[in-house]
Amino acid sequence: MFGFHEAPVTIEKDDILISFEKKGDSLLYKRTCNGENVNKILLTESKRILINPIEPLHKPKEMTPYLLLELKRPVVVEPKATKKIFLTFPIEIGIFIIGREESKSLDIMTLAKQKLTLYGEVRGGVICKHYASDVHSSLPAVDPVREGVVELTISNTTARWHEITQVVFNAYGMKIYYNENTVAMRASMRIYTGGIGEIEFYDSPLYKEMSKSIELYTARRIKVATTKFIMEWGL
Amino acid sequence: MNLDIILFGNVTLLDLIVVVLILVIAMLIGKAISLNLRRSLKDKVKKEHLRSVTKMIYSIIILIAFILILPILGIDPSGLLVAAGFLGLIIGLASQSVIGNLVAGIFLVIERPMKVGDQVEVEGKMGYVEDVRIMSTIIRTYDGVFVRIPNEKVFTTNISNLVTHVARRLEYTVGIRYKDDADKAVIIIKGIIDKHPITLKNPEPMVFVKELGNSSVDIMVRFWVPSPEWYPVRRELLWKIKTTLEENGIFVPFPQREVWFKNELEGRLIEDKKPSKVKSK
Repeated sequence: MFGFHEAPVTIEKDDILISFEKKGDSLLYKRTCNGENVNKILLTESKRILINPIEPLHKPKEMTPYLLLELKRPVVVEPKATKKIFLTFPIEIGIFIIGREESKSLDIMTLAKQKLTLYGEVRGGVICKHYASDVHSSLPAVDPVREGVVELTISNTTARWHEITQVVFNAYGMKIYYNENTVAMRASMRIYTGGIGEIEFYDSPLYKEMSKSIELYTARRIKVATTKFIMEWGL
Repeated sequence: MNLDIILFGNVTLLDLIVVVLILVIAMLIGKAISLNLRRSLKDKVKKEHLRSVTKMIYSIIILIAFILILPILGIDPSGLLVAAGFLGLIIGLASQSVIGNLVAGIFLVIERPMKVGDQVEVEGKMGYVEDVRIMSTIIRTYDGVFVRIPNEKVFTTNISNLVTHVARRLEYTVGIRYKDDADKAVIIIKGIIDKHPITLKNPEPMVFVKELGNSSVDIMVRFWVPSPEWYPVRRELLWKIKTTLEENGIFVPFPQREVWFKNELEGRLIEDKKPSKVKSK
């Protein structure tokens, strides 16, 4: 499903039906996902279409650039240790039309559950997209239309044990890579004294042959101080 | 160089130098204060408002310097001050509310209880803050009405900012019949809140039997939402809860009262008679 396509084309996967039909000089875009329908007329000579996973923060409404993954089982890290775990995150699918070397986002859809949560206190905390993830020690098999995998390298820089129950990511730093079977990101979490965590993304794929997704958040970035997230309200 | 040379009247060259120095120092102080104000308030106040305020402060400093140099130049400022005092009193009385609004506006800018785009309730008016000006605050009510409230009123009244904090708690009291299963109702309501994409998972929603009312078992429903979304979610979920409970055979009762008579009522059964037809001519 992910990758470049030439119109006219019809793509059907799980509960998603996407079609680009030729109508005279234009293209007719139709999409059905979870009972939601979208129809658009595209006045273009281009037939090049890109479908790729994007930052999972646009649905049901763009309200926050933060994604909080709640770990279904807490992870306890020993002092001065660096360990790797794999988590899953929800996928949103972006449909793009490409013409004259310029891409335009046509539509965004998702099959993943939508939920928001608050990280921190009502005063000063941040609203985050919420997703509950299992913790895996190796790359888990997931449905790439619904879930992606984030490889998280945890470094405990302190001389104390720390328990991690949640991880918050900043969409402005997300680097999503994909192939036909896997959607993945790579990130690091450094734990500092006082139980403060710093989350940052690596701009490199999990496998060499993976393609990089178009970053909607980075493309719109005008004035962003940082792409990291500092977890100061608890791990 | 002889600084005691008399230039005119009793004014010497030294006096003139002092006058020029006072003016230059006043101008420098005025410029420094204006610059600092511009820097510290540039994100809080609109450019044109800031320019007016800094100009006014600069003018006041120059005026004070001017009054200070008058005696040096041999002019008695007492008469001028008395006249200025009277003029000030008259202007002050005439423009009492204007000055009040202006001062309140400055304090509002410093305190910042609200900013443009916030949803607020001021003076009983609810809506979006369109502008916080130096003299007044503009609110666009939810029904689209432009409301201008003088800053003096805004400053002295209670301001409820509905979106200052990132999240807000909403609550309903849902009454169900005594014969309905309250546990089942609680589970259904919790399920609706959990399924809704905008309601927050944390802080956790709370649904519990709050009171055994006169006509109903009252269930308290509390949940949190991102502050800007409070109204659409509140509107949507209340109806969703009502209809889903009904679909599950749980109903909101009408107010009712059981009346017991001490003695059995004596009465007679009146036969249901059909109304006689009225013949029209």
